[in-house]
Formats: sequence, C-alpha cells, structure tokens
Amino acid sequence: MNSYYAATLLVYAGVDIIACLALNLQFGVSGIVNFSFIVFQAAGAYTAAVLSMPPDTANGGYQTYVGGFQLPFPIPWIGGALAGGLLAIPVGLVVLRKLRSDYQAIALLVLSVIANSVITNVRPFLNGAAGIAQVPGPFSDQVDPLTQSYQLLYVGLTVPCVLLVWLVASRIVNSPYGRSLRAMREHELAATALGKNPVQLKMTIFIVGGVIGGLSGAILVGFIAVVAPSIWLYPETIILFAAVIVGGRGNNVGVILGALLVPVGFEEATRLIPQTIGGWVPPPNLIPAMQWVAIGLLIIGFLWFRPQGVRPEARRVFEGGPA
Amino acid sequence: MELYVAALGFGLVSVSVIAIAAVGFTMQFGITNMINLAYGEVMIVCAYAAFYVNRAGVNIWVAMIAGALAGAVLSFLLNRFLYAPFQRKGTNLIGMVIVSLAASLMIANVLLAIVGYYSASYVADQGPLVRSNGLVLTTAQIAIIVVAVILMLAIHGLLRYTRLGKAMRATAANPTLARNCGIPTQRVIDVVWLITGALCGVAGVVAGMNSENFTVSSGAGYLIEIIAAAVLGGAGQPYGAMIGALIIGMVTELSAAAIAPEYKEVVAFGILVLVMVLRPQGLLAKRGALAAAG
Amino acid sequence: MRGFEPYKVVSALGAIVLLAACGGSSSSSAGLGSGPLLVGVLAPFSGADASFGPRYLAGCIAASLSINGAGGIGGRKVSCQQFDTRGEPADAVPAANQMISSNSNLMGVVGCTSDEASTVVPILDRSHIPMFCMTGQSEFNKTSFKYFHRLVPPDSFDAYAMIGSSLYGPNHAPYKRVALVFGDDIGSQTFVGPAVAALTKLGVTIAINQAIHLGASSYRTEVASMLLTHPDVILTETIGSAGTYLKEVKQQNGGKVIPFIGTSATIDPVWFQQVRDAIGLPDFLANYSAVDLRLTLSGSGYDEFVTQLTAAQATDPGALQYKGKSPTTHLYDGIIMTALAMVAANSSDPTVYNPKIFDIANGVAGATVVSTFKEGVDALKAGKSIRYVGAAGENNFNQYNNSQQGYNLVTMDKDSNEVTIGQLTQTQTQQIIDAGGNA
Repeated sequence: MNSYYAATLLVYAGVDIIACLALNLQFGVSGIVNFSFIVFQAAGAYTAAVLSMPPDTANGGYQTYVGGFQLPFPIPWIGGALAGGLLAIPVGLVVLRKLRSDYQAIALLVLSVIANSVITNVRPFLNGAAGIAQVPGPFSDQVDPLTQSYQLLYVGLTVPCVLLVWLVASRIVNSPYGRSLRAMREHELAATALGKNPVQLKMTIFIVGGVIGGLSGAILVGFIAVVAPSIWLYPETIILFAAVIVGGRGNNVGVILGALLVPVGFEEATRLIPQTIGGWVPPPNLIPAMQWVAIGLLIIGFLWFRPQGVRPEARRVFEGGPA
Repeated sequence: MELYVAALGFGLVSVSVIAIAAVGFTMQFGITNMINLAYGEVMIVCAYAAFYVNRAGVNIWVAMIAGALAGAVLSFLLNRFLYAPFQRKGTNLIGMVIVSLAASLMIANVLLAIVGYYSASYVADQGPLVRSNGLVLTTAQIAIIVVAVILMLAIHGLLRYTRLGKAMRATAANPTLARNCGIPTQRVIDVVWLITGALCGVAGVVAGMNSENFTVSSGAGYLIEIIAAAVLGGAGQPYGAMIGALIIGMVTELSAAAIAPEYKEVVAFGILVLVMVLRPQGLLAKRGALAAAG
Repeated sequence: MRGFEPYKVVSALGAIVLLAACGGSSSSSAGLGSGPLLVGVLAPFSGADASFGPRYLAGCIAASLSINGAGGIGGRKVSCQQFDTRGEPADAVPAANQMISSNSNLMGVVGCTSDEASTVVPILDRSHIPMFCMTGQSEFNKTSFKYFHRLVPPDSFDAYAMIGSSLYGPNHAPYKRVALVFGDDIGSQTFVGPAVAALTKLGVTIAINQAIHLGASSYRTEVASMLLTHPDVILTETIGSAGTYLKEVKQQNGGKVIPFIGTSATIDPVWFQQVRDAIGLPDFLANYSAVDLRLTLSGSGYDEFVTQLTAAQATDPGALQYKGKSPTTHLYDGIIMTALAMVAANSSDPTVYNPKIFDIANGVAGATVVSTFKEGVDALKAGKSIRYVGAAGENNFNQYNNSQQGYNLVTMDKDSNEVTIGQLTQTQTQQIIDAGGNA
C-alpha cells in the first residue's frame, strides 16, 4: 500500500468518524433522525471552499461562485463548522418544534433532496453541478499538496480534530445535559414533566451536530479539493446511519468502530472484490449495486438481531435503585 | 395566457399521477402507522413489471393490471415479512422509518442489478391530440385523468360506504379498541397493504406513461413528490393527499410556466416548507396523526 | 418481443487475463522489463453516468488485443481493469489511490470524465501515470499536468460546433431561430454560456434558452413555452431526459418533431435507444443530427480497431455497439500511442516514455506514418521515427496535450451507427469560436 492511499484512508476515516460522532449525538443520544445530515457536511465543505478560494474571476472564469476570500488556515475550517451550525438553526426551527419524530425524519429527507437540487440549479451561487474545484487545502501555499509530506501533514491536521470532537462528544454524553437528552429520547413526555424543554434540548444538540458535521465537510474539501452536488446525495446519509446503528447507538466508542467498519472498511473492501469469479465475468455494474443491497441488509440485520449495535450504550442505572 | 391555460391542463395530468400514488402512501401511514419510504421503489418495480408484459405484446392498459398485481403482492410481502415483524417487536417509529429506507435502498439496487441503467418506455398509442379552450392533451393523458378520478371515487366509496372501509377507519383510529370490538385488525391490515399496493402499482405504470422514459433511479424522485403531497394534505388523510397532490402538481406546472422551469420542483417544496411552519399538522389533518410520539 | 438486454456490456477481463497468461514467452527488451502490464479504466461504472465506463472499457479491450496480437510491448502483455468512481469526485479519490497502490504495472489510465477529473487528474499526475481523459471541463484547456492527455474538445467547443451545424449544416437552410434546451448536469451547464455569446454575436435569434431539471417526471409546460417561441431547431443534450422532452414536443406540435441537434455525448447507443423509443425511428432519423470530432472512420487504423472490437465481443458481448463511437475510438488510440511510446523509448518508466506520446501523436520531421501497433513496432525496429495516425485519424497535441481536429456533422442510422453527413471548415469553426470569445 502506498502512502497516498494510506493517507486517503486515514483522512476519510477521520472525516467519517467526526461525522458519525455528530450523527450519534443527534440520532443515537437524542433520537433525532437527521436524514439531511449530509447537507450540513456539504454546508461546511462549501463554506470552507469559498473561504479559501481566490475570487472566481482569478482562475479564468471557468467556475462561478460567491465569495472567494483566500483566508488562511484555520479560518476555512472554523468557518465550515460555523456554517453547519448556522444552517441548523432555521432547519431546526422548521422541523424540530412541532413535528412528530418520524415526520421530522421524512421532512429532513425531503430537505436533503431539495437542497441538492437547488445548489445544482443555481449555478452562479456555488457553480452548480460541476461544483467548486481546485480548492486550496491548508498550508498548500507552503507545502506542495502533491507531495507525501503534505499527505502526512493533512493526517496530522485531521487527527487533533477527531480527538477534539471525541472529547466534546464524550463530555456531552456524560454530562447532565446528556442525561436530559437521553431522557427526552426515551420518554419525551416524562422529560417534559420533569421540567425539561424538549424543543430547546433538541435545538441545541441539532446545532452542535451541525457544527461538527460542518467541520467534517471542511476537512474533506481541503483534502480532495472539490465539492460538488454528487458527493452529498442523500444515500450518503444512509451510510452514516448504517455506521451508527452497527457501531452502537449512543456509544461513542461503538460509533467510531462503526465508522471504521462501514464507510471505510466496507466500501474499501468492495474495491478488492475480484472482477472475475471463477471464470465468470459479472456485468460491470453488478457489484456496485450489490454493495448498496449489503448496506441495507446490514441496517435491517442489526436492527433485528442486535439493535443495540456492536458496542451497546452503557446502561446508566442508579446503583441504589431497582435493577 | 395561452401558456398558463395549457399548463393548467398539464397540471391535471401530473396531479392525477401524484394523487393515485399519494393516496396509497398516506393510507398505509394512516391505517398501519407506517411511513413506507420504499413506496417509490415499489412503484418503479411495478412500472418495470408492466413494461415486460407490455413488451410481450400486451396493451399497456391491460399491462397496468399486471403492475397493480405486482404492487399488491410486493407491498403485502414487504409488510408481512419485514414491517409487521419489526412492529410486533416493538420497534419505535424512528426505527421503522429507518427500516423502510433500508428496504427502499435494497429494492432499488436489486432491481438495478436485474434491469440495468437503461431507460425503459412503453409501447403505447398516445391517441389523437385533443385541443379545447387552450387545453392541449393527448387521449392517453385524458385517460390517465379518468383513471385517477375513478380510483379516487372508489377509495371514497370504500372508506365511506363499505364495512371494510369502516373497519379500516376503526383500525386507523385505535387498533386495540377495534380489535376488542371484534374487528379482525390483522386481516384488515393485510387488505390495506394489498389495496394500497395495487394503487402503488397503478401509480407506477401511469408515472411511467407520463414520463415516457423511466429508469430505476426515477423511484426516488416519485417518493419525494408523494411525501410532499401527503404531508401537505395531512399525513394519513386520503382526502388530504388528494388536495396535496392537486397543489403540488399544479404549482409545479405553473411555476415552470411563470418562473424558470429548473426551479419548478423547488417552488413546490418551498410551499411544503411553508405549510410545515404555519400548519405542521397539514392542511386537513385533525388531531391524531400528529400527536406527540408515545 | 423486442429484446431488452440490460447488460449488453460485460467486461472481458477474464479472457484477457487468460490471454496474458497464455502468451508472454517472446523476447523481452531489457528496458521494457517483463510481466503483464495494466491499463486502468478509471470511470463511472455505477451512479447516474454508469453507461460511460463500459464504453471506455470496450476501447481498452480492443487496444489490448491489438497490442497483444502483435507480441505485446516488448513481450509484455496488456490487460484492462475497471475502477469504479461512481461518477463522483469523493469516491474517485480512494478508487484512484487504491488502483495506483495495488498495481505497480500500470502503464496508463483512460476514462476520467467531467464527474471525477478534477480530483483524479492531480493524483495520476503526481504518480506519473499517463492518462487519456474524457473530461470536457475547460479548466483543462491550459493545464500544467504533464501526464494529462485529451483527444476530445472542451464541452464549450461542442456548443460552437452545434451552432456551426445550424448555420452551415447540409440538407437545410441556415436556421434563423434556435432553441437551447439543456439540462442541469455538469456537461450541459458549460455549453450554454459560450453558445449564447456566439449566437448573439452571429446575429442568430435565440428563440428560448431553457434550462430543465433532469429527471423530472414530465416537461409539458416547458415544451409548451418552447413551442410558443417557434424555433427552427433545438440544440440539446439533456442526457436521460431527452426522450421525455422530445416525445412531448411531438405530441404538442401536432405529431411533428422539430429538428434537433445533439452534442457529441448524444452519439451513444443508450441515448439513441431512449429517444428512438420515445418518438419512433422515422422521426428520429428525419430530425436528429449531431456534431462529433472529426473521425475518419476508414483506413487501415480504423479497420484494425473494428477487427479488434469484433474480437473483443468474445468476452464483452456489447463491445461492437461502440464501433465508430468517438470516446471508444479515441481512448483506443490513446492506449496504442502509449504503448508505442514505451517501445520507442525502450522504457517502462513513465517519466521517460510519457514525453514520447506527444512525438508519436504529432510526429517529428520525416516520421513514417503508421496506423496500427504492429506497423509502429516494425517501423521502430527498422530505426525509423513514427507518427501514429490511428482509428480516429490524425492527432495534433498542443502544448497542453489537448488535441482537437475540427468537427464532423453526423447523424445515426437505424442501428445507432454514426454516419457523417458533412464537415465544418476551419474558417467556419474559427468564426464561431471567435464570436464565442473563447480561445
């Protein structure tokens, strides 16, 4: 394995772990089925892109976009995170206040599809279907991005972000606030009766998840240098859900495991499937289709046989209380 | 002006297609408490089933029956072997939505492996063009509108005037109470999946006729329109779904005429968001469908 | 019952591997090394553009058969392998990296469409892998990537050629009112700007400039408003939705289809099938025309290509449907040129043979013209320098490794074979390009 491939896997793993931790806060801990999670990642990616790009007039005008501020690292990453959080406010206000939980899910699904369609069609805004390419990564003006040392540098920038997000997520899960979230997830009415405001709880965690999701997008776009509507179609969210369900809803360690197993491990493993099986040549499009079927089976299988995931959420029982 | 009148006529066709689909979708939700996100993919499976029958030389209107049968059987099986077991297990609403999304992913991709990415289109005579007061429609499009009207009336009659319809409404309102009153809710639910599945199948075939070309990936687009219509009208409410379909279909066509066509769907969904903000229970829903989760 | 074969296109890797295993005892030159060589087909095999990959794979298989039939590259046999990018840039990155890291014998890569070129071209370039790309993005018009090659023009040039076809095309008076109907995908969005600029400058009326949302369930209102502007011709691409749109044109226009001119991407069996099914074969044949790169589609280079494509059917039953299709033909030529460059440089080190590709395509003074791999190897062995004029005719790389040879005006026959109906002269093309304000 060459170092570029290794670096790609590591950065992708970092991005997926961060995304899954965010989704876990929303879905695993708080019970919000955010089917438009990938939109928040995209918001972070686009924001980081326009913050670090030169103005669109600078490169021959083959792409058009707003902004173009050429700001140095870490501003694009911070901006990406903020954008994810800011986007969460109006979305949360529309979706989280009055709708029933499964209703919220489909509203968010619709939102994900529409957001993608809008960005694709409004070309002057973020360059439409082609997306924004040649996004300069952090320090790319000082270290040549095509070198191995840059790949290492990028891994070096990603790892602290993963640790930071993990730290934040753990603190939230173990805090009194995390307890309130779980209480709301388990029994919203009872939590309300105890004086917890479910809308406020949901809004806060939705915004926190948006911030972290935005950060994951910023990290991704700095590495691959492109953000386009085709990378944030709604099935991408389903893969992240599969990771959280497989890993263990509510358990941060489990979710990290899930991120490594599903988006990274599972998708890479299918690249290694031989293209001839005992002399039989499968149609070129068969294996990609079967991969999605397997993702679906993974979700359904786990929900049926082991809904708590590989690493179940810790049971938090008061020691003196009834078992 | 001429264009707007024509767009109204075209809107009627879109409305018909969406209405057939959305009524089935919303009945599944209203009666069995299941948001079936695999609905759009089941539609496409039925469209392909009718496609193969049609290509074997059968008239498309007859092949539509094959589509309806395929939809009924597939939906019934989907509930029997996937949704119902999960519901019996006590999986919560969120869990069920995820299960159905996973099912949708699997159906789409199994279909893809079988029929491929190539687009399909029916061999169907569109019939002569009918022009009247600025409306321009083909005979086949008028037939689609007629089919929709008949199906809507049939659903109305079923729910309103038959014992089965009464049982369905009772099951929707309170399954436990209905069972205690001697209604065989299990059988009722089976029948609901068969009927809504058939609607889904017919919807798939008329959607295929409407688009002329369809591919496996069309299913996701159908689903979004259906959800929009159902939510707009008040989920679980068949009459609401009809009104929702009317609004979504008309707004889509009229905004293609008035604003830029590439935004026509965006405008329709803008209205949906507005409704979710101002009247989250949907236009028609009474309390019930949207009560807090419990 | 009309046959509907979803998987006409099946990869032929099994047989190639067998072929590679069975051959390979001929003498190997020291500089070229030994062992099998691989060409990567890095392209969408799933997702919305899943039909692209098989097109390129067919060209690759044909090229590998031609090379291996002539003894391979210094005895080294060539095979093809598909690497799926799923048509999206983020998935393309690990696909490209995985391809490079697990295949040390990669001699070149073909594919890289507009979907993924912006992420994979830098990766391939940094790994010194010569590539022949299908991307139409104008950001590669003047690129600094030395290993990048492109035998197809940027999308905007397609737009100019379509305008040329409406003004100077055969069998019709110059069209006065033009409707632009394009989808919201990557390729289409880059057509419109240059097309509008050029049409305006040339004094042609743009009856309507319509952007449509691909994959919508119907376009009746769009078609109605387009028809109200009474265009003489429709310029379009609308991959995936052209059938739906044109069928509605026919219905609302009293059964009459308006002539439509497609981009080079429409010269494709899938597009053909869709539109033919929608409007019927007679209307298709009567109204369709398109523009394509100037392909000779004759001569010994093309004959060899067709022979090998026919042979490729043994393992890839759909291969022959790409006969005469520009992507398949061009990528075939690209692989043959790469192979010849290796032989000419007597090296399997891409830093050595990559610059030779340019020489073999453009030819140096006094070069012998060859049109197959075998002819090339023979001439090189005789100590001559060569110029490869292949299946698609001459290549003329500019300093940015872009090669364009002007346009043919074409149509398709009832079996979706490409038929040339005219050509645009250099002056005509230049006039439109100048009007469009794009060099």
